[in-house]
Amino acid sequence: MSWDDKLLKQAKKIIKLYPQKRSALGPLLHLAQSKDGYISDDSISVISDLVGITEVQVKSVSTFYSMYKQEPTGKYLLSVCKSISCEINNSSEVINKVQEFTGLNNNETDEDELFTFEAVECIGACGGAPAVQVNYETVEGVTPENAINMCKWLKETKPDVVVADEMQENFGGVKSFDWAIQDNSGSTSTAPGFQTLNTTKVKK
Amino acid sequence: MSEKVNLNVNGLEIESDPNKLLIEACEDSGIHIPRFCWHKRLDPVGMCRMCLVEVETPRGKMLVPSCTTEVSDEMVVDTESDVVKKAQEGVLEFLLINHPLDCPICDKAGECPLQDQTMAYGPGESRFVEEKRHFEKPINISEIILLDRERCILCARCTRFSDEISGDPLIEFIQRGNKTEVNTFPNEPFKSYFSGNTVQICPVGALTSTSYRFKARPWDLKSIRSTCNGCPTGCSIELNSSQNKMLRILGVDNDAVNQGWMCDKGRYNFEYLNSDSRLKTPLKMTDNELVEIEIQDVYSELAEFIKDRQTKVNFLLGSNLTNEDYVAFREFSNTISKSERSFYLNDDLLYKGFFGENIELAKIDDLNSSDAIVVWAEDLKEKLPVLYLRIRQAVKNGVKLVVFGHTNETLSDIADVFYGKDMVSENFEILKDLSKMKEINNLVAGKNITAILGKSTPYQSDESVTKLFEFLNSNANSKVLNAYSKGNTYGAFQTLENLKGLNDFVNDISKDNTDLLFIVGADPIGRSVYSNQIKSIIKSIDTVVTLDNFNHETSELSDYVVPISSTLGEKEGTFTNIEFRTSRIDKLVPSPGQTLSDWEFITSLMNFAGLTVETNSLEDLNRKAYENLDSSLSPVFDNLDKPSNLDGMINIFNPKIAASENKLNKTMFFTGEKLYGDSATERHSDSISMLGSKKFIEVSESVAEKYNLTSGSCILAQDELEVTVSYEVNNSFPNDLVYIPTNRRELNKFDFSREIMIIPSQVKEALNVN
Ligand code: SF4
Ligand code: SF4
Ligand code: FES
Ligand code: FES
Repeated sequence: MSWDDKLLKQAKKIIKLYPQKRSALGPLLHLAQSKDGYISDDSISVISDLVGITEVQVKSVSTFYSMYKQEPTGKYLLSVCKSISCEINNSSEVINKVQEFTGLNNNETDEDELFTFEAVECIGACGGAPAVQVNYETVEGVTPENAINMCKWLKETKPDVVVADEMQENFGGVKSFDWAIQDNSGSTSTAPGFQTLNTTKVKK
Repeated sequence: MSEKVNLNVNGLEIESDPNKLLIEACEDSGIHIPRFCWHKRLDPVGMCRMCLVEVETPRGKMLVPSCTTEVSDEMVVDTESDVVKKAQEGVLEFLLINHPLDCPICDKAGECPLQDQTMAYGPGESRFVEEKRHFEKPINISEIILLDRERCILCARCTRFSDEISGDPLIEFIQRGNKTEVNTFPNEPFKSYFSGNTVQICPVGALTSTSYRFKARPWDLKSIRSTCNGCPTGCSIELNSSQNKMLRILGVDNDAVNQGWMCDKGRYNFEYLNSDSRLKTPLKMTDNELVEIEIQDVYSELAEFIKDRQTKVNFLLGSNLTNEDYVAFREFSNTISKSERSFYLNDDLLYKGFFGENIELAKIDDLNSSDAIVVWAEDLKEKLPVLYLRIRQAVKNGVKLVVFGHTNETLSDIADVFYGKDMVSENFEILKDLSKMKEINNLVAGKNITAILGKSTPYQSDESVTKLFEFLNSNANSKVLNAYSKGNTYGAFQTLENLKGLNDFVNDISKDNTDLLFIVGADPIGRSVYSNQIKSIIKSIDTVVTLDNFNHETSELSDYVVPISSTLGEKEGTFTNIEFRTSRIDKLVPSPGQTLSDWEFITSLMNFAGLTVETNSLEDLNRKAYENLDSSLSPVFDNLDKPSNLDGMINIFNPKIAASENKLNKTMFFTGEKLYGDSATERHSDSISMLGSKKFIEVSESVAEKYNLTSGSCILAQDELEVTVSYEVNNSFPNDLVYIPTNRRELNKFDFSREIMIIPSQVKEALNVN
């Protein structure tokens, strides 16, 4: 098995939350994503053992959902929305600028394994279009200039946790609505930050 | 039975059972709705939308998929409206967008649902001008199955089969949307005993078999219905040939038996029929060599022996004969001697079983209606594969399952109770008092049980199984399915008396009581665990006549070898399955050279020897086989050929088995057989010959430790004999147990009553260096 004890312990904790082992498949795949930055065949074998379904059945699920990456990602997964509300609000320019800065085409990762860029379908932040996610932490109202600033900031400070609220304050603009709750926890990998998965951390 | 519901379909009033799917209810009333993904034996998924029909709803007429919609009373349905037609055209236009123009080179063309339904319901033209999606042309998803992903229409029949029916989901949809494909996990091929079924139910030519690929066009095929004689399940099958060559076997949906499925060995073990190595002319041992001889000379030379009333004759019969063949030997034997005689079957595991007045025998269908199934027998997946599928089906329908070790681990996955090493000793004795085991008592006490019972290995005591039987018999309302596992064993039960197995053969037969021994369709030296003893017996007997399809280790020691036709496709007759269901074996292809049916050979021999022959034709033998049965119920050809009897006729029967208890010494090694082996027929069926060639053993953890097995292979040694095998550690074995499959040649050559040494291969290498 290619998972260390800590990760296996985490996995078993997650499995316990469900009435059937196989129901834990989705979260376990996120866990695998947080470990390697993608879903490796090794991880698939481990998960298949853990939940008692065949490897190809795990693969079937992991390749169906686009949040489970089939290729390694960089430290930061930049997802820029290209759907209609964002497009109307100039997302194509955001996309251009991010691509220019990173030198990446869609779904590419740079040599330093710092950035992976993708243009994605609606991420549910239409009210704050154009929207961008960094490791699934959403920033709304991002102008092309601020997108560049954000990339520069990521490149220079290389934060271990990216926090939506913090990025919103520094690089965001108009928001869908005010959540009114301060949340200074964020994502620590290219999997979304979930407490049960241990993929989130509070930024001090 | 609940009330029927009434529907109006296309203006016609039809009746249906409630809870039926609309597509099925229509089908039953003769209204065909096109479909790709729906298959009567699989759960509906509504993947393809080909079965859309219009149903009236409170909100007006709506298009619904008829394969996922249940009937309801007063439902009004239109399967032919303009809207339905438009939908069908649309679905087909979409399906054809990515479908390659492969028909000219596709095995399926001519019997392809996609072709046929495009013709019947398609739009006639396509508006698609973009490029179709492309995949590497067929990839091997296993050693015997190929997948052409471009042709796949994503109906999920194959994936559902492997998940729901055979329980080995090694193929699945990968990716999504336009990129979706069926595939396996890298380096994890579609290794399944049932994979051929997916080829049969694939509605396009995406899944093909190595054995049939590019061999024929469907419209050139001749076909006939028959029964598989591979094991006592007796699956209903269709044989296909072209230009007098057997090319393909398909499963036929016999509701009470195989429901359309087959195992891959039954399906693909036929290529040997066309092999050049088939025996075509009789042979006689002359100066230690088998040389060709005229059949007339065989008859006249043997007739001389037989005319001499002093000659003592015995029979060792294989399990792949037809009932008529068995009767021919019985008649022959009755004619030459009036005294009672035993017939020996080529079976290491033949034992008394559970028959008699007070024992109710089960039918396969009883599995579905029982409260629980209790299994203690040889590995059913290996030995009675489609019966194994029927157990899976019953469990899926909610029947409870109790399984005893150490052979049916594959069933333990779906068992409610599995009694492994804590409960069953390495000697195959039940260790604990069953009446005190809560789990089994809860499941069986006072319930309707089907018990599938048999011996798991020759050295297991008869008594151990009897104990379980008695427990069930006194605590539950139980029916028994005796799990003998060789070909037409039940046909032999029905037609022969005083049956014994190889254990008794070895004890009984010697040159003192046998001058002339007929060995028919059997290679005990190549397969039995009594190989060595049988070899010396055969060597000592004056005249041994072997009848078979191929030369093998046994025939090579015989005085006469007579080529016979194969029961598969080259003979007519009847076969009796595990529930005493007798059905037709039929002939589709001629047999090669001078081959004869066993009964033809014996009948001619009797005529040559001047014996009175009452059964001169196949029909005579067929009548004779069932002369004790009420004529309207008896499975004579006339009755079996009636359309209502194509699925066979059951006549439960109490066989006269005279087998005595096996007195084998118990050692660490327990013998069994895998589905695939390297028998003569398998070796000569190229598509599957590699599947049974590997020599391996399974060892308990303690054995692996004790013998320091680390490298994946080891050497088994006894006296002069040394065989290199790979090994697998089986965690569910009790300490000190080793499984050895004896249908892999050489592995049956050990004396299993004495110690066999296990030498790790690295040690052996070290020794060789010195
Ligand atoms: S391979 Fe055949 S059976 Fe399997 S999904 Fe494709 S079309 Fe259906
Ligand atoms: S299960 Fe038995 S009868 Fe059925 S196909 Fe296989 S060998 Fe033949
Ligand atoms: S369109 Fe961009 S978030 Fe919905
Ligand atoms: S047959 Fe109904 S959707 Fe495929």
